[in-house]
Amino acid sequence: MVVHKGRKASVKEAVKNDVVEDLDVEVSDQDEESEDDVEVSDQDEESEDDAEESGEDDGDVKLSVPQEKAVYDRAGLLDKLGNVSWPENVDWIHKLTLDYSQEKEVDVNDDLNRELSFYTQALDSTREAFMKLESMNIPFLRPTDYYAEMVKSDHHMEKVRGRLLAEKRRIEEAEERRKARENKKMSKAVQAQKQKERAKEKKNEIESVKKWRKQRQQSGFPGNGKAFDIGLSFEDGNTFERSNKKRPGVHPGDRSGGKARQGAGRGKPGADKKRKGREFKESKYGFGGRKGMKKQNTAETTNDMRDFSKGFSKNKKKKT
Amino acid sequence: MGKKRKHVETVTEIPKQEDKEVVVEEEAKHNNETHSGPIFRNKEKVLVTCSRRINFRYRHLMLNLVSLLPHCKKENKVESKAALNELVELRSCSSCLFFESRKETDLYLWMAKCPTGPSVKFIVNAVHTMEELKLTGNHLTNSRPLLTFSTSFGKDAHWRLLKEMITQIFGTPKDYRRTKPYYDHVFAFSIVDDHIWFRNYQISCSHTEADKIDREGLDKMTLVEVGPRFCLNPIKVFGGSFGGQTLYENPFYVSPNQVRIRSLDKKKKAGKYAKKVKAKIRRKMQELSKPMEEDEFADTWQDQ
Repeated sequence: MVVHKGRKASVKEAVKNDVVEDLDVEVSDQDEESEDDVEVSDQDEESEDDAEESGEDDGDVKLSVPQEKAVYDRAGLLDKLGNVSWPENVDWIHKLTLDYSQEKEVDVNDDLNRELSFYTQALDSTREAFMKLESMNIPFLRPTDYYAEMVKSDHHMEKVRGRLLAEKRRIEEAEERRKARENKKMSKAVQAQKQKERAKEKKNEIESVKKWRKQRQQSGFPGNGKAFDIGLSFEDGNTFERSNKKRPGVHPGDRSGGKARQGAGRGKPGADKKRKGREFKESKYGFGGRKGMKKQNTAETTNDMRDFSKGFSKNKKKKT
Repeated sequence: MGKKRKHVETVTEIPKQEDKEVVVEEEAKHNNETHSGPIFRNKEKVLVTCSRRINFRYRHLMLNLVSLLPHCKKENKVESKAALNELVELRSCSSCLFFESRKETDLYLWMAKCPTGPSVKFIVNAVHTMEELKLTGNHLTNSRPLLTFSTSFGKDAHWRLLKEMITQIFGTPKDYRRTKPYYDHVFAFSIVDDHIWFRNYQISCSHTEADKIDREGLDKMTLVEVGPRFCLNPIKVFGGSFGGQTLYENPFYVSPNQVRIRSLDKKKKAGKYAKKVKAKIRRKMQELSKPMEEDEFADTWQDQ
């Protein structure tokens, strides 16, 4: 490995002789100095890092005009290539190289397209390679039960997985929030609509009662109860039927809307029976008292043991 | 029916004969790398080292490469490049990847074929290591990679030489004792803007058997990036190992030092004189518009 000092020395002398501050020549000079293991002494003491210089994808500056002195020894290169390369008829399986022709030029600064072009290059070449490997009848795909050491540790892959999951969750949450907001808006609109309709119905009903009264007045009050079905058109004709909504735990005659019992069930059993307050008396006897229908259990409510305490039984035998 | 069978038999005989001929030819060939026997054996070994005072990011890049190349040997930090050739010979390696870092920010990569061969000096940009969480792929350690090159590597002499060197250094030998049998990752080298871009992808495709893949599986195959990522800018190609006659110089290369110096100088010198003149004028205007009051104590010490 004889370093050809002679040639380099001549170039250096030529540079010194010229004393031309040609930037291009300086470049080659710097590089040659660095080859000789001389610490490249900065001409400037303050060497701050420019963000542009060490930035993404080759931030360093490129000369717009190529240097004329740049060496290109084509014959030498091909000679060395011949020396170094493997013989021609080596099996593909040793080299495993694939060539891919890239049709269109990719702009370096366009990250997405650049990565996409690398990806398509790799993908198409892999497909070709797999076809070749398949034709050679050698196993090339990893079986699912083949466990071996991987290039990245399990711990690291856990971190990766965690990050991916967190991202997915964040996206989902944002989606849900958006949907909830929209639903709320919609439900508000629907509710407003319903209220309007109810108000309208109420008005209609009152109107129809008034009309009926007028009719009766006009036709002079015919009888008491005989002509009673006068075309009062209520909604579905089920006026005097109670609604099917049976609320377990609430007396049918309950005038408090079932709210009185909610807190009371948490106390002792039978505590609400013993209540003596004014409100309680009112709920029992006020405004005509409780209407009939003392028996109102459904299949579900018969077995509903919510209001009974667990330990309540007549014959408690304590095991000692 | 009988005729059909005969036809089939004749067809199968011919390829077998051709195979035999190829094997005979290979046996007759002797090349530099055969040590024993006439068959081609890839005995490539790569020595991976770095210089002192290397950055953490570049050190991790080096370690990533060590894990990607099963046929490499990692060596301690070296102080000077001069001893490298001997070191490579000592460790009985045939190539070397030397990471040289300057000023703790620039990384130069030397790729050399050691006893006699050519060597290349690159500057490395855009480094992303395997530890980044955005690179989610994973593959078997020590499995042989598939190598893909874009066809621009065949267009010029220096690219062809680089392609050959990369194939030999990054391609794992077939029967190396540490290699794992399956092929599940691919290295992609492409030339964009006269730089070599390196990407490493894991191949993920659904399959049932180890040696057959159906059409559907091939179509649905996806690649996940494993990393690391880097971009190489060739600076010079030398005829010898770590030195020698310059065979190729990159005409567009500007060393990062030059970039720094040039930009600093420009900043310093840019408009320095103009600024000075402007400042003078401004001061004069200021003084004229707001004249200073007379100092009543100005002449207290005058007579003394």
